[in-house]
Amino acid sequence: MKSVAAGTSILVSLGLVCFPAPGCAQRPDTGAQRPDSSLSADSLKKLSIEQLMNVEVTSVSKRPERLTQVASAIQVITQDDIRRSGVTSLPEALRLATNLQVAQVDSRQWAISARGFNSTTANKLLVLIDGRTVYTPLYSGVFWDVQDVPLADVDRIEVISGPGATLWGANAVNGVINVITRNSRDSQGLLVSGGGGTELRGFGNARWGGTLSPTVHYRVYGTGFARQPTLLPSSLDAADDWHALQGGFRVDWDASPTNGVSVHGDLYDGRIGQPSAGDIAVSGRNLAARWSHTTSATSDVRTELYYDRTHRDIPGTFGEDLDTYDVDIQHRTELGQRHDLVWGLGYRLINDRVVNSPALEFLPPHVARQWFTGFVQDEIALVSNRLHVALGTKLEHNDYTGFEIQPSGRVNWRLSPSGTLWAAVSRALRTPSRIDRELFVRIPPATFLAGGPGFHSEEELAYELGYRHQQGSLALSVATFYSRYHGLRSVEQLHPPAPDTLVIANGQDGESYGAELAADYRLTGRWRLRAGYTELRVHVWAQPGSTDMSGGSAESHTPDRQFSVRSAADLPAHLSLGGTFRYVGEIANQQVPAYGELDMRVAWQPAPMLELSVVGQNLLHDHHVEFGTPSARRQIERGVYGAVAWRF
Amino acid sequence: MAFLRTACAAALLLGWTPRLVAQTGKASESHLKAVFLFNFAQFVDWPSAAFPDSAAPLVIGVLGDDPFEGFLDQTIRGEHVRGRGFQLQRYRSVGEIKTCHILFISRATGARLDEVLANLRNRPILTVSDDAGFAERGGMIRFVTDQNRIRLQINLDAAQAASLTVSSKLLRVADIVTPPGR
Repeated sequence: MKSVAAGTSILVSLGLVCFPAPGCAQRPDTGAQRPDSSLSADSLKKLSIEQLMNVEVTSVSKRPERLTQVASAIQVITQDDIRRSGVTSLPEALRLATNLQVAQVDSRQWAISARGFNSTTANKLLVLIDGRTVYTPLYSGVFWDVQDVPLADVDRIEVISGPGATLWGANAVNGVINVITRNSRDSQGLLVSGGGGTELRGFGNARWGGTLSPTVHYRVYGTGFARQPTLLPSSLDAADDWHALQGGFRVDWDASPTNGVSVHGDLYDGRIGQPSAGDIAVSGRNLAARWSHTTSATSDVRTELYYDRTHRDIPGTFGEDLDTYDVDIQHRTELGQRHDLVWGLGYRLINDRVVNSPALEFLPPHVARQWFTGFVQDEIALVSNRLHVALGTKLEHNDYTGFEIQPSGRVNWRLSPSGTLWAAVSRALRTPSRIDRELFVRIPPATFLAGGPGFHSEEELAYELGYRHQQGSLALSVATFYSRYHGLRSVEQLHPPAPDTLVIANGQDGESYGAELAADYRLTGRWRLRAGYTELRVHVWAQPGSTDMSGGSAESHTPDRQFSVRSAADLPAHLSLGGTFRYVGEIANQQVPAYGELDMRVAWQPAPMLELSVVGQNLLHDHHVEFGTPSARRQIERGVYGAVAWRF
Repeated sequence: MAFLRTACAAALLLGWTPRLVAQTGKASESHLKAVFLFNFAQFVDWPSAAFPDSAAPLVIGVLGDDPFEGFLDQTIRGEHVRGRGFQLQRYRSVGEIKTCHILFISRATGARLDEVLANLRNRPILTVSDDAGFAERGGMIRFVTDQNRIRLQINLDAAQAASLTVSSKLLRVADIVTPPGR
C-alpha cells in the first residue's frame, strides 16, 4: 500500500519534478496600453460628420454571439481588464476569470483548471493562443512556463468553464481558454515599456506596428524578464529564479472585403534554476497562418495551419523535443431561416522525442501520433431570438483509442430581454496521453510504476444549467453543474498484495458539482466593480476491484470555494486605481491552508503617450502557499514593481 | 491653370466628386459608431418636453449588449451640448427606458426589433442601430458599413413622427430611406 501511495505521489510530483519545467516566456505587462485604434476618442470627436464618414473601419463588429457561447459559462477578460490589473503573465491574467482555479506553484509553475481536477499536470482544460492549441501530449496539459503572450497586444481572453468538446475537441473536458491577440492593424506604432521590482526583478518590452501597404499591416515585438526565486517551506531560497526572452511578429493582410490572411510566429528561450542540478532550459518557435473567406452574407470558411516546436531539458530528469503540425478547416453557413450550421475537419501530427533518465522514462522514447477530427453542429431557432437549440457532435480518431464521439446539446431561452436561461448536456473525453500509456518510473527501493497499455479515455457526462441577467449597468450570471466521470486515472497493483509493480489504469469514478456566480456593476462611467464566487465539490472513488486507495488525491487538488472582488476606477488628475482581493479556500488533500490576498495598481498618465504605474501583488502577507504537498510546496512572496510605458 | 479650373468645374457639373479628403484615418467600427452617436446630439433637436428640466442631461442609451467596450463612456465624458451634460444608460429591456434621447439598439438585443420599435413609436427618442432593414422597419438611423466606411441611412418620417428635428447638415450626408408602403 505504501508503494501505491508512492506511485500516486509520483504522479502528483511529476508535475513538480519534471513537467514543471521552466519557461520562457512570460512577460510583464507594461500596464500602459490603451486600445490601439489609430484614432483616439479625442481625435475622432474633432472630426466633422463628413470626415467621420471617411474614417476607415478597421475591425468589423463581431457577428452575433453563437449559441455555444451564450449557452455556456463564459467569462471574457478584455485588454482593459489586463491593463488595469497590472498582471505580468498569462497565468496571472487568468486569475481574472473567476470560473477558473488558478494556483501559483513556484516561480514559473502554475496549476490551472476549471471545475476541479486541478494539478500541475491538469489534463481537462484546452488552451488555445490565436488558434494554436498549446498542449503537451506528455500529459494532455499545458506547460505554463512557455505560454508567454505579449499582453499589451491581447484583444481578449475567452474563458469557458464546462465541456466544450463538441466544437473544440478532446481535452476541452472541463473548460476552454481562448487567447486572441489583436489584428496588427489595431497595434500600430511604437510601444516601449519596462520596469522592475522585488519579485519581478526586471522586464522590458518593445513593439513596433507598421503598414506595408494600405491593406497589409504588421507588428514585431520583443520581450524579456527576470524573476526572483520562490521560497522553500524552510524559507530558504528555492533557487528557481528564471529569465526568458521572446520575440515574434504578426502580419495581417486584408486581401479583399471577403478575404483576410494572417500569419504570425514567435520564438523564445528561457532558463530556470534548480536547487540540485543544472538549469532547466526551454525554447521553442511556432508559425501559424489563417485564411478567412466570406462566401456570402450567411456563409464563411476559415482555414488555419500551424507548426509548433518546443524543446525542454531538465538536467537529471528528462528532456523533450516536440514538433506539432496542425491543419483545420471550418465552414459556417445558414440554411433557411432557422438553421445555422457549422462543421469542420482537422488533422494533427506530433513527433515527440523524449530523452529518458534513470528517474523517469517514456517508452518508446520517440513516437509520432496522429489525430483526425470532424465536427458538426446545427443551431436551430425554434422561436427566433427566443428559444434556440444547438445539437452537435465531434468525431475524433486518435492512435490510442481509435474513434471517439463527443456529442452535446444546448438550449438557450430568452425569458425576457434582460434574462436568459440556458442548459446543456455534454459528453466529453480526456483521451490518453503518453503519461497514461508509456510512462516508466522506478520507485526506490524495488517498485516500478508503468503506464497502462489498456488505458482508455476518461469519460465525462456533464449537465449544466445557467442564468444570465442584465439590468442597466448591473450584470449577473450563475452557472450550476453536475458531472459524472467514468474511468478516471488510477494506480493499480499488478499482483496484489505485492506492490512491486504498479500500473496506471482507469479504476476510478467520480462526480463534481457546484455553482459559479459572477456580478459586474458599473457604479459610474468611471468606476466598475466585479465579484465572483465559486462553490465546488469533487468526489473520486475506486471502482469495485480497483486497488487504488488514493480517493482521487492524485487527480484533483481543488478548494471547495473561492471568492474575489475587483474594482477599477478612473480618478481625477489622470490617475487610475485598480485592485483585486481574492479568497481561496483550503485544498484539503494537500493541506494547503485557505488564504486571502490583494493586488493593487496605481497608474498616472501625465500625457497620452506616457504612463507610470506601481503594482503590488500578494500584498497582505510576506509570503503564502497556493499549491503543493507540505514537503514540495513553495512560498510565494509579496511583490512590488514599477513600470513605465511610452508609446509613439 | 485655366484648363485645370475648367476641368474641375466640368467634373463638378457632371456630378463627379473626386475624393478630396482622401482617407481621414482609421478606427475600429464600434469606436467610430460611438463617436457618431455622440455627434447626433448636435444635429438633432428634441422637443423641450423630452427633458425633465433645462439642466437635465442628454441621455444616450444602449439597449441590449453594449458593443462599445467602454468607449462610449470615454467619448461623452466631460462633454456638453447646448448647456447639457451627457449621461449614459444601459438597458436590458425596452420597459426600462424612461428618459432617453439617443438609443442605440444592439444587434444582440434579442427581443424582436419590431416589438421594440412599436414600443418606442412616437416617443422623442432617436433610435439608432446597425441591424439590416432597421430604417425600413421604422427605426430612425441605421449605420451601414460599406467598403470599410460607415454610411448613415435615415428614416426622416419616423424622426418627424417623434417630433425630432434632424439638421440638414446630417441629412446632407445620409441616405434618406422611406419605408415601403408610404
